[in-house]
Amino acid sequence: MTNATIRNTHPPAIELKGIRKSFVLSEGRNARTVMALDGIDLAINQHEFVTIIGPSGCGKTTLLRVMASLILPDAGDVLVDGAPVSEPGTKRAMVFQTFGLFPWKTVIDNVTFPLMVRKLPAAKAREIAMEHLVRVGLEKFVDAHPHQLSGGMQQRVGLSRALATGADVLLMDEPFGAIDAQTREFMQEELMRIWQEEQKTVIFITHDLDEAVMLADRVLLMSRGPGRVREIIDVDLPRPRTDYDVRVRKNFTETRSHLWNLLRNDLVEQRAEETT
Amino acid sequence: MKRRPNHEVRRDQLIGVAVFLTVWEVSAQAFDKPLLLPPVSAILAALWELLISGALIKALGESILLLVAGLAVASLIGFICGTLIARSKTAYWMLNPYFSALFVTPTIALVPLVLVWFGFGFTGRVIVVVLAAVVPILFSVASGLRDSPDDLIEVARSFGVKGEIQLLFQVRLRAAMPVLMAGLRLAAGRAVVGMAVAETYLRLGGIGGLIKSYGAVFQTDFVFAAILPLSLLGIAIVTLISRFERRLHWT
Amino acid sequence: MPSRLTKPSVWLPILSLVLVLGGWEVVGRSIDPLLFAPPSAVAATLASLLATGELQAAAQVTMKALFLGYALAIIAGIPFGVLMGALPRLGDILQPYLYAIFSTPRVVVVPLIIVWFGIGFEARLFLVFFWSAIAISVNTAQGVRHARPDLVEVARSFRANRIEMARHVLIPGAIPFVVAGLRIGAERAIVGVIIGEMFLQIVGLGGVIQKGSVELLPAKMLSAVMVIAVLGTIIVTMLDLVEKRFQSWRGEST
Ligand SMILES: Nc1ncnc2c1ncn2[C@@H]1O[C@H](COP(=O)(O)OP(=O)(O)OP(=O)(O)O)[C@@H](O)[C@H]1O
Ligand SMILES: [Mg+2]
Repeated sequence: MTNATIRNTHPPAIELKGIRKSFVLSEGRNARTVMALDGIDLAINQHEFVTIIGPSGCGKTTLLRVMASLILPDAGDVLVDGAPVSEPGTKRAMVFQTFGLFPWKTVIDNVTFPLMVRKLPAAKAREIAMEHLVRVGLEKFVDAHPHQLSGGMQQRVGLSRALATGADVLLMDEPFGAIDAQTREFMQEELMRIWQEEQKTVIFITHDLDEAVMLADRVLLMSRGPGRVREIIDVDLPRPRTDYDVRVRKNFTETRSHLWNLLRNDLVEQRAEETT
Repeated sequence: MKRRPNHEVRRDQLIGVAVFLTVWEVSAQAFDKPLLLPPVSAILAALWELLISGALIKALGESILLLVAGLAVASLIGFICGTLIARSKTAYWMLNPYFSALFVTPTIALVPLVLVWFGFGFTGRVIVVVLAAVVPILFSVASGLRDSPDDLIEVARSFGVKGEIQLLFQVRLRAAMPVLMAGLRLAAGRAVVGMAVAETYLRLGGIGGLIKSYGAVFQTDFVFAAILPLSLLGIAIVTLISRFERRLHWT
Repeated sequence: MPSRLTKPSVWLPILSLVLVLGGWEVVGRSIDPLLFAPPSAVAATLASLLATGELQAAAQVTMKALFLGYALAIIAGIPFGVLMGALPRLGDILQPYLYAIFSTPRVVVVPLIIVWFGIGFEARLFLVFFWSAIAISVNTAQGVRHARPDLVEVARSFRANRIEMARHVLIPGAIPFVVAGLRIGAERAIVGVIIGEMFLQIVGLGGVIQKGSVELLPAKMLSAVMVIAVLGTIIVTMLDLVEKRFQSWRGEST
């Protein structure tokens, strides 16, 4: 099956229609509304890898939480496989920036958690969890507690937990943001491998331009202020991209500097506003 | 923190105890006023007598029953009110002032009122223990639940946990566990005091009653012999809870 | 001041007080006004106790033992704590005894205090002083031993001498612990003074409670309890504030 036929026969994995979301910030007496998402229309195809970048506070996390149905939009619809959703479901799984592991649970219990919530038999849940932990090389640490693991290992647990749910869509909020640079590259490769093997759909927020371009089929750039989609850029680079020299290809550097120029303007404006 | 190696500390403490007991024994013998300072040997003899007569075991049993009952009731009340106070501002402002006042009022000052209102039976004695122990439990529940683990709540919700009750039991209480145990440890210390107060003031019973009745007839050796197990009981309970607490420290 | 009264932190406690007192008044009157002393009866008793000056005199007696005992506890407790902190071996040897004494309920030690000190002022003073002093000294010792190795290292790298080390690292590091000890010591002192007045010499506020108990006058007991609660709240709140002030100094080394 080629990408084209999938697109024709399947509805988008996730589709957003006219999403608006604002928050009320109360600072003492005077309340202020912050527009976090201001009319987002977006379709993410099956098996696509989309990265999202944008200046801090532009609404990336809010967008992801809306996609996960962790918060409901003020207006607009979220569709998963063409059907509207309003609460977290089993087709989507989150991976969190600060890993989101329960410190009082062992590694294996963290991974079985979503399965236990779904009332799977304990033995079955354990079996599934083990399988995923083995794949990321954590079989020796199943009975450890999260604080005994390094950041990279903790996030592998977080990733295993999301994969063990069997969800088709991974929603990842700066998943490698808190991981050291070398481990991070390794994890990127691992994620790409899993994504390719298992044909997942991945939506991946990052602050790192290299990472955004390196991983993505498409990069979604959000603009500051009222959260809008500024531009969506197709990344035309061959896969697999596990090879380091993808970074020195012309397409890579051009896409990267294009994104940087757009992003840079926003940052300069933000600076100016803050200093006045 | 300057920590000396454990085995050195233990060696010094053992030597310390040996010296302390010897000095006590010798000076008490020389001083020869058993009413004021009974020698260690006399205290041990008294302890032995209390043990074989079964009086000590019986008294300890009574005391532990009272302690456990009081702590259980205090935990229940502390849990319910603490949850209310943490989750509702209204409950906080309506209830918190009373508990704060109760916390700084010596339990002993309340005991005569308990006597008048509830009598000196088991109910009255349990109430005294509850009055002593409830506030630390309540405060720990309230503060443990107030620092909401928002990130973990979000994780649980994203994987399908629904409803406040589920979140309370699966995430909030678990995350608050270290604080809750610290509260329970404080409460247990205070409960032992409450127990002793109840047993000496309301009706002579348990280990507190034993001590008071020997005190009344100035049998100082027996007073010492009965205080010792009471102190050990208090230390044992607190140590037990701290052990458990240490196992909870994940961070 | 309508704006003040609309704050929930003001009107909710007032509402709750009105509800509690109202409910108590109704229930107390309908069951047994003598035994369940409704708020009106307590207020009347409180007024008459204040009018005759009985309560003021009692409070004075209580405060005298409390403050003298507490002051002595500070004077003895801090230097002793510093000594135990500076000589870790001494501290380690004494630790178990102090801990055992500290965890022994004082009501059961009363018989011993009677044979040692009698039932007079000295006996009451001892009840206040001794347990309070233990709390202060144990915490002080912990503070002195707590000196953060990383800060000691920093000071040493800047070639600080002993006095500078004490002034900039050791004392500031120990103060939060000392203050915590002072608060725990004060709580102990308050309990101690009341125990002394109820079990040793029937005087002061504890004595008023005890007399009220014998005369079966709950209103009288409640009046004294209220005064004790207010006194305790004031003292503990003040020390709490001081403790918070120094809290930030208690940075942990990682
Ligand atoms: N729960 C909330 N309550 C109030 N305001 C919020 C909330 N969540 C987000 N906001 C506001 O909405 C805006 C977008 O926030 P969001 O977290 O989505 O940004 P972000 O792009 O993820 O930023 P970052 O790159 O720093 O993670 C910000 O101004 C933020 O302050
Ligand atoms: Mg974010």
